[in-house]
Amino acid sequence: MKAVYIVIPAYDEEKLIGQVVQDVAKEGFTSIIVVDDGSSDTTSQAAQSAGAIVIRHRINRGKGAATRTGIEAAVQLGADIVVTMDGDGQHSPKDIHAVIQPIMENKYEVVLGSRQISKGAMPSHKIVHNKIANTITLLYSGIRVQDSQSGFRAYSRHACTLLDTTSDSYEYESEIIRLIAAHKLSYVEAPISTLYTDYSTSKLHKQDISNGIRTVYKMLWKALS
Amino acid sequence: MQPITLQFYQIVVVGIALFMIYTGTQKFLSRGAGQSLLKLLVRIVVWGGMAAVALFPEFTDVLAKLIGLEGNINAVILVGFLLVFLMIFKILSVVERIEQDITRTVRRESLDQFQGRKK
Repeated sequence: MKAVYIVIPAYDEEKLIGQVVQDVAKEGFTSIIVVDDGSSDTTSQAAQSAGAIVIRHRINRGKGAATRTGIEAAVQLGADIVVTMDGDGQHSPKDIHAVIQPIMENKYEVVLGSRQISKGAMPSHKIVHNKIANTITLLYSGIRVQDSQSGFRAYSRHACTLLDTTSDSYEYESEIIRLIAAHKLSYVEAPISTLYTDYSTSKLHKQDISNGIRTVYKMLWKALS
Repeated sequence: MQPITLQFYQIVVVGIALFMIYTGTQKFLSRGAGQSLLKLLVRIVVWGGMAAVALFPEFTDVLAKLIGLEGNINAVILVGFLLVFLMIFKILSVVERIEQDITRTVRRESLDQFQGRKK
């Protein structure tokens, strides 16, 4: 049986992180690493109380940086498969089974969770944001994917050791796709459901406005420098 | 037909441009780390443009008329702008490198603490 570790980067997620950890555990995955990315609230305590292994960044470094820290910890702990998912409750832990299956069967090295991008299934501003991000990711990596910004992904141990990311923020997701191309890793997209609660939508909206332009700028910067 | 005579600087610029385009294409085709189609295209446009200007200096007249630049003082201002952009590029590179160093340090400390807790 392969050891599956779930990595959840979290920043000021005290309201939901405990519930997310418990929901993941209910699906039978008890090796859960929460990376508290310098939260100013009680995210660490909430995650630990719920049964997660907690690693804490002294200062906030961004989702990409926290995810990589979690992946490194999982590899150190002997993970065969690492699943990354968001800590705001937008990802359904039930989908973990689907994203790890292709790696369990040794068919692929990376599985990219892919949200349904259509009206009704996703807020309209998110659809526009995704289409722009997908186009830039295509130029950046040469790979066309349906959802370049999904944080719900699974990696084999081999892939984890190769994906030497340097992006700290939301451009991390696109950098992963570029590295998949650079290292010629086999990958597949798996459909996942997304729960757009008031809580997760408010966080997503904040990310879009404040970080969208910065993310594009950083991706272009990395492509050109 | 008149023989084409090239100045020394033209040969140097074209040589460097061809070398840069060749290495960029080679890196892209071998899927080197950090390579992308966008990066290759930018490299071709920038270095190809420099080679074109070196080979056909009169092209700058067309360009100057096109963007409304005329006279030496404007050329000086343009060079000044280019230098400022170059400095900004350099400063942003340094900032990016410092950001990455901070992240590596924070990560190392977090993982060391985690390892310490395990023991």
